[in-house]
Amino acid sequence: MDSIGLIRQFLQDRLGVEASQVGPDTVLGEIGVDSLMLLELMFEFEDRFGVKLSEDIKPPATVGGLAAVMDGLIYRLKG
Amino acid sequence: MVRRRVAITGLGLVSPFGGDLADFFTRLIAGESAVRHLATDDRPRPLSLPFVQCPAFDPERALGKPLASMMDRFAQLGMAAAFAAWDDAGLPRQADTPRDDWGCMWGTALGGTLAYEKGYRELWQNGRDRLSPLAVILGMNNAANAHISIQLGLGGDSVSHTVACASSAVAIGEAFRRVRSGEATVMLTGGSDVPQAYGVARAWEALRVLAPGTAETASAACRPFAADRRGLVLGEGGAALVLEAWDHAVHRGATILGEIVGYGSSCDHSHLVRPDAAGQVRALRAALADGGLAPNDIGYVNAHGTATAEGDPVEVAALQGAFGDHAPHLAVSATKSLHGHLLGAAGAIEAIVAVLALRHGAIPATGQLAGNLDPACAGVDHVVESREGQVLQAALSNSFAFGGSNAVLAFRRPAS
Repeated sequence: MDSIGLIRQFLQDRLGVEASQVGPDTVLGEIGVDSLMLLELMFEFEDRFGVKLSEDIKPPATVGGLAAVMDGLIYRLKG
Repeated sequence: MVRRRVAITGLGLVSPFGGDLADFFTRLIAGESAVRHLATDDRPRPLSLPFVQCPAFDPERALGKPLASMMDRFAQLGMAAAFAAWDDAGLPRQADTPRDDWGCMWGTALGGTLAYEKGYRELWQNGRDRLSPLAVILGMNNAANAHISIQLGLGGDSVSHTVACASSAVAIGEAFRRVRSGEATVMLTGGSDVPQAYGVARAWEALRVLAPGTAETASAACRPFAADRRGLVLGEGGAALVLEAWDHAVHRGATILGEIVGYGSSCDHSHLVRPDAAGQVRALRAALADGGLAPNDIGYVNAHGTATAEGDPVEVAALQGAFGDHAPHLAVSATKSLHGHLLGAAGAIEAIVAVLALRHGAIPATGQLAGNLDPACAGVDHVVESREGQVLQAALSNSFAFGGSNAVLAFRRPAS
């Protein structure tokens, strides 16, 4: 599963947000992802892909922004 | 000192029977037991004991997925009970005017123990090296009152009380004092607890105070005041009351379900687990005096009555000490026999039973007591068959905790 797929699944499981409502421009705060839920989402990402996000990462505002951070990390690890 | 009257305008619970408040009381009056046999697949040794759960409780349906996912089960049960009480009071969940002097006082003995236990299992049993970022906010003991205050926009006190089995009785008493003194207009109060964490259940088992039982015998396992009593039955649950300044309730046209008039607390200051009648008498007398009640005003006492060998006769001795000549006429029952011992939520669910008994003129019986009274527990009017059509003016609810902390709440029937 890619980053956007994982984000969609998380939002469905934890917040009941339908996958069809989640696109790159979706603002995380508007679908109930506050700072705590974002931490949990990043935790799940780290677990799933066996990676560690930087502690001082700037919290992304949108689903696309978050996916870009995740994809970038995976790309660097694979590279 | 200001002493305002305090109305009870909302009651709510998560019932182990799966229905609503009316269904819960109807089943108690019918003498129905919610105790079932619990069998788990825990390692190293499964749990196998009589227990009370709320199997029909679906946190996602009751609270919605986003809110439920931010809570441990004790907070979920508390939030659901609080919403039920709030709706019962006819108050909007969304504040239409500032609620800066409205608050929440909550009782829990165990708090988020399940969340912590899950963390220990992850680390020590499953070999994980880190925990979910939500672990802290799931486990913290004030999670229930924090969520309640956020959801209902309560800007005043938001406090959790941990006083073992008296936790929610103390919370209710302290909430009552806030409203009576004029510090608060409305207080949401009550308690919730979930004792089926493996370590918690095994710890209670080690104390040798849990009633044994099988799938066939579990429903009658808890037998307060009975000659063959074997101990208590743990249970999960949540129960809540809305306490409101009398004039505020009248002004908004609320239905007044009852009046809370007194609160007495004391400490045995003698032993951690062996109760002392003298300490309990002080709490009983304090509650009567606080409520301006004479012994013969009291038509019903919901006893602490856990069905332990030591506790039950001491409680009867305390009632005799506090009520004197009226004791033989004092109707007493221990409804833990039917809904189990909810630990930090016990005081709240039993306060609700006392309020409903006054409101409906009906007293639920102590289960399994008919023809089975321990002579050492004689001396009060034990209710062994439910009584309906009673004219009751006032009632007490007793909560006597490990640690020697005692709390007694006094209620009056609302004037017709």
